[in-house]
Amino acid sequence: MASRLRTMRENGSLLALPTISWLVIFFVLPLIIVLVFSFMSRGRGGVAIMPFTLDHYGRTFDVFFIILQRSIGLAALTTIICLIAGYPLAFFISTRRRRIVQQVALFLVILPFWTNFLIRTYAWRILLGEEGTINGLLLSLGLISEPLPLLNTQLAVLIGLVYGFLPFMALPIYASVERFNFRYVDAAQDLGANDIRAFMRIVLPLTLPGVLAGCALVFIPSVGAFVTPDLLGGAKGLMIGNLINKQFGGSGNMPLGSALSIVMMAVVMISLLVYIFANRRDAGAS
Amino acid sequence: MPTYDVELIDIVKDFESGGSRVRAVDKVSVKIADGEFFALLGPSGCGKTTTLRLIAGFEQPTAGQVLIRGIAMEGIPAYHRPVNTVFQDYALFPHMTVEQNIMFGLQMEGVGKKEARKRAQEALDMVRLPDIGARKPQQLSGGQQQRVALARALVKRPAVLLLDEPLGALDLKLRVNMQYELKALQRDVGITFIYVTHDQEEAITMADRIAVMKDGEMLQVGAPREIYEHPGTRFVADFIGETNFIPADLIERAPDGSGAVRLSDETVIKAQLSKTLESSSGPVTMAIRPERVGIAKVGDSIDSADSDQTVLDARLVDSQYIGTDTRYTARIADDINLIVRVQNTSEREFSHFTIGQPVKVYWRQSSTTVLDR
Repeated sequence: MASRLRTMRENGSLLALPTISWLVIFFVLPLIIVLVFSFMSRGRGGVAIMPFTLDHYGRTFDVFFIILQRSIGLAALTTIICLIAGYPLAFFISTRRRRIVQQVALFLVILPFWTNFLIRTYAWRILLGEEGTINGLLLSLGLISEPLPLLNTQLAVLIGLVYGFLPFMALPIYASVERFNFRYVDAAQDLGANDIRAFMRIVLPLTLPGVLAGCALVFIPSVGAFVTPDLLGGAKGLMIGNLINKQFGGSGNMPLGSALSIVMMAVVMISLLVYIFANRRDAGAS
Repeated sequence: MPTYDVELIDIVKDFESGGSRVRAVDKVSVKIADGEFFALLGPSGCGKTTTLRLIAGFEQPTAGQVLIRGIAMEGIPAYHRPVNTVFQDYALFPHMTVEQNIMFGLQMEGVGKKEARKRAQEALDMVRLPDIGARKPQQLSGGQQQRVALARALVKRPAVLLLDEPLGALDLKLRVNMQYELKALQRDVGITFIYVTHDQEEAITMADRIAVMKDGEMLQVGAPREIYEHPGTRFVADFIGETNFIPADLIERAPDGSGAVRLSDETVIKAQLSKTLESSSGPVTMAIRPERVGIAKVGDSIDSADSDQTVLDARLVDSQYIGTDTRYTARIADDINLIVRVQNTSEREFSHFTIGQPVKVYWRQSSTTVLDR
């Protein structure tokens, strides 16, 4: 028995074969197809045809650059707001003494996932619309005389993204703070550090892995988001995800969509590299 | 007037836990002198660590006052108190090098980087680890981490150094070595040490004075010799070292602190009374240390010229060879077993006695302490 297990361990690559073939067929090959498409010309009905061209990349960084920029900007802003809101939240939850309080709080953080994301985003339309709940409330209080243009703005997209991705920031930070040994705070204060300095010099660096993981988990899907900007952003809040979505539908432009996808992937890759680099430097430091 | 580094005045500390109040420290008052090595000794949960944390400023007393160098510490946060702590698990910052760990406290004071680095190196030299500044705490052995924690606290030149079971995680041999080193270091730097431990041997070896704590109260405060030789309560006698407790009845109490007790077999013997003894008659406990009891064969001459000597007939029921000593169990009176510890010098052979044989046990009256039962 043991010897068979050993053989299995030695021939481990054989065991991975099904997974590897799956990935090659359904991930690597399509990726190559997308890459090749992105250099091809647009044919009738939006399909990719010869000859090769760099046009789509040119347009990506020309007419569509503002949307790329907006996507990265909105994703970055989402990440920052989620971090500012999520860190204290995670800190609060993980420092509750009673286990039951922690569990209830975590449950509340996860609770929104029980409702479909689409429905939750539609709910924001009701809240933000011209005759929506927020405007209605402000009007009846006499704080404003005209309804505020909330829906179909970048602000609406930002609100939707923060709302949707906050748990992805809070949960990894929670895990980090939960593991943090508060004796280090005692030690820092004992050595003369006030609360702020103890936090900046000790707590934050030691919970950084959770912060970085949360940032990656929020930033990456935010860049490519298309449901939220589609429902809340209108024309002003259009993001790269919507653009790509459009290219692959009806009379779209597959090569352009492919080029946009590749660029978006590059953005995500770069942010991942930053994450890995920051994490490694941090790992080297601890 | 002597100067006190730390004064605790009627300190009470209650903790809320699950709706009920738990009193961790109960009316503790003590004065600790400048340059003293003071040990807080007691079993786990006796309030010794809480007392230390109250001095450090990590906890605030429910009632009472903490004074450090004569200044009331009420409302003064931990980071403004002239004390530093060596934590039980050392709490060295894992994301910093040893040098950065030691420099941290100096930087918080606003000491410049160059000066801080110089003083960190001096601190490392002091704990005899001059070459490990660039390493991470995780790369050090337990003993090395312990010294770094010591260096990190001492580099701040505190008025008082608080140590929370700092040797608890070390193995026996290293622990014994560190006891001597710590004591020597304390003598060199001249800083007041307040040392929390549950290990009575550690406390006796190092401390100038020991406070024995139980259930949040300080039962007895005194020099190691006084605590060991004249325990005030049965708990103290039992906690510090090994003790024979012999149930007896107090029948005489003289004003000079001597008295007489009657054992269960009606034998009346003289004994020394504890200063804190409350009973004036009736059931008491007579405590005597095993090494203060002698054992001899029937017929052997015992220095009976000494009127202070008590000699009783007994029967040997057990003997155990434990290296430096032999530990005899002798039965006196009705089923009272007396432990006798005799050092194994060349004159006294282990095979001297056979189990079951009648023997004589003897001790000096001054070696006994009569305690409330």
